[in-house]
Amino acid sequence: MKRPAMAQPVLTQASFFGRVRTMAAIGIRMMFFDRLKLAGTLFGVVFAVLLGNFQAGTFLALLGKNRMFVENAQVDVWITPPGTRQFQGGKPLTDSQLNRARATAGVAWAEPLVVQTAALQLPSGGSEPVSLVGTRRPRFVGGPWNLVRGDTRSLLVPNGVIFEDSEREKLGGLNLGTLRELAGHKVQAVGFTWGLLPFAPAYAFAEQELAREILKVAPDKHTFIMVGVEPGVPATVVRARLQDALEDTRVMTRDEYMKEILTYIITATQIGLSFGLSTFMGVLVGMITVALSMFSSVIDNMRQFGTLKAIGSRTVDLALLLFTQAIIYGVLGSIIGLGAVAGMVEGMRNPQLTPVLLPEAFAITAVAMVGVCLAASLLALVRLIRIEPAMVFR
Amino acid sequence: MSAPAPVAPAIELSDVTKTYGSGALAFQALKGIDMRVEAGEFVMLIGPSGSGKTTLLSILGCVLSPTTGTAAIFGEALHGRRESELPRLRLEYIGFIFQGHNLMSALTAEQNVAVPLELRGYSHHAALVEAREVLTSVGLGDKFKKRPEELSGGQRQRVAVARAIAGRPPLILADEPTASLDAESGMQVTQLLKALCTERGHTVICVTHDSRIYHLADRKIFLEDGRIVPEDQAH
Repeated sequence: MKRPAMAQPVLTQASFFGRVRTMAAIGIRMMFFDRLKLAGTLFGVVFAVLLGNFQAGTFLALLGKNRMFVENAQVDVWITPPGTRQFQGGKPLTDSQLNRARATAGVAWAEPLVVQTAALQLPSGGSEPVSLVGTRRPRFVGGPWNLVRGDTRSLLVPNGVIFEDSEREKLGGLNLGTLRELAGHKVQAVGFTWGLLPFAPAYAFAEQELAREILKVAPDKHTFIMVGVEPGVPATVVRARLQDALEDTRVMTRDEYMKEILTYIITATQIGLSFGLSTFMGVLVGMITVALSMFSSVIDNMRQFGTLKAIGSRTVDLALLLFTQAIIYGVLGSIIGLGAVAGMVEGMRNPQLTPVLLPEAFAITAVAMVGVCLAASLLALVRLIRIEPAMVFR
Repeated sequence: MSAPAPVAPAIELSDVTKTYGSGALAFQALKGIDMRVEAGEFVMLIGPSGSGKTTLLSILGCVLSPTTGTAAIFGEALHGRRESELPRLRLEYIGFIFQGHNLMSALTAEQNVAVPLELRGYSHHAALVEAREVLTSVGLGDKFKKRPEELSGGQRQRVAVARAIAGRPPLILADEPTASLDAESGMQVTQLLKALCTERGHTVICVTHDSRIYHLADRKIFLEDGRIVPEDQAH
C-alpha cells in the first residue's frame, strides 16, 4: 500500500495584525455569548459614566451660577475691592478710582456697577430678597441678558425694574406692569430675564440712579468698576496699568476673574472636594465592577484560555483579547451612559440648576472609561498570565 | 514543488525524567524514558492513573520541559528551550485533542476549527474554508454554525479532532479522546482519527486506557510508575 505524504510542519505564523484580528474576534464573541455578564459589566461602566458626568455637570452648573455675571457682562477688565475672590462686593470703590481708571492709557471706557441685596415686598405681607444690579445708561454695561420679556431700554421707564422670570411666582406673581415695593421704594416690573439665578438671590436690574436710590448707595460709591479696553490693546496690559494706578483694589481681566472664582470654589469651599470625591467614587465603583467581571470571566473560562495557550496563543495574544473586551466595555458603556445622562439633563432642565454636559464630555468620557476598563482588565490579565497550558491535560 | 518528508523521527526521547517539586516533596513522574516514534505511526500510550502518561504527553506537547534528558520532535530539540519559544513549536508541529474536547463555547464549530489556522497565518476566509473542509471530512458538514452546546458529546469530540488536524500539523496528541464518550461514540471517534491520520499522514500519540480501542494502534507503549515497560509486564 502506498504511504501518504507525511504532514509537514506549518512554518507560517500570523502577523501581529492577524493575531489582533483573531483575538479581538474571539474576545467579542466571548463577551456577547455571556449576555448576563455583559449586562453586569456594562452596568458598572454606565454607573460610572452616569455618576461621573452628573457630578461634573452639577459642579459646572454651580460654577456657572457663581460666575455667570462675569461671564455674560461685556467687560474686559474688572476693578474690584481688595481681596475679591468671587462676584461679591466688599469695601466700596470710589469716584476718584473711577476717574483714575478712565484716565489710564488703553481704557476705552470705565463704568461703575452697583450690586446689593434688597427686599421685595410681597402682596402676602412677607418679603423676598433680590440681588439688585444698578447699571448705567446709556451703555448699560453689566445690564440684563437672557431677556424673555422687555429689553434693556425698558430700564429707562421710570421706576422700571427687570426681574427673573422663573421667580415670578415666588416674588408674588409678577407680571409686566406689576407694581411692588422694593426696599420701601415703589417699582414696576418692566421685563423678565431667564435663568439669572446665582447662589445669592435672583438678579434684578434697574437703571443705576434708581438702584442707588433703592439701595441707598451714594453716587460716588461703587461695588465694581467695569472697564472696556481700546481695540488692539491686550486686556492684560491694561489690567497691569490699572493695578499700578489703583493700589487699594484688585484688578482682573474677565478670564482671570473667572479663573479666580473657580479656584476659590475648589480651594476655599468643600464643593470641589465633595464633587471630586463622589465622581472618583463613581469611577472607582465602575472600575471595580469591570475588573471583577473580567476576572471572573477568566476564572469561568480557564480551560478555554488554557486551550488557547496550548494550541499556540501567546500571553500577548490573550492580552489582546482582554484589551479588546475592555475597549468595547469602555466605548459601549460610555455611549449608553452618556445617552442616559443627556436624557436626564434634558428632562430636568430648569433655571435653578441644570447639570452642564459639555460637548467635550463625550470624548473625555469615552477616553477615560476606555482607560478605566483597560486598567481594570489588568487584574484579569495577571490571572491569565498564570494559566499554564499544561492544565489542559489534567 | 512539495517539501521533502522529514528525515528525523517524529519523536525521539532519551533518558527523559520529570520531577515536580523539590527537596523532601520532590516527586519524579518520569524516570528515564527512551522512546522513538517514526513519522506516520499511530501509537497508543497506555498505563494506569499516575503512571506518567499525562506528563509525557505534556512534554511531547511542548507545554512542559523535561527535567533531564533530551527530547525532540521532528529533529527540533525540546529540552533547554525558553518558554517563549514553545508556542511557536506547538503551532508548527502539533494538533491537540483533549479529554474534555475543550472547545470554546462562544464559537461555532467552524470558528473553533479556524482558530489555530488563523494563528498559523491563514486569512480569516481561508481558515473558514479549510475548517469547513475538515469538518466535512469528520462528518459534520451540516454543523458548521453550531455551537458546542448544540452538539452531542461525540460531535463535539469530532470538532476537536477537526481542530487538531486542520492545517495538517505533523503530530497529533490525543489525551484520552474517548474518556467522555459512550462506547460507540468512542470507537467511532478513534476509528475516524486513525483513518484521517493515515490518509493525511499525521503521526499520532494517543493516551488511553480504553482497551476496546487498543487494536487500532500501530504500536502500543505501556507506561508504569514513570517507566516504559514491556506489554507482558504491564498491569
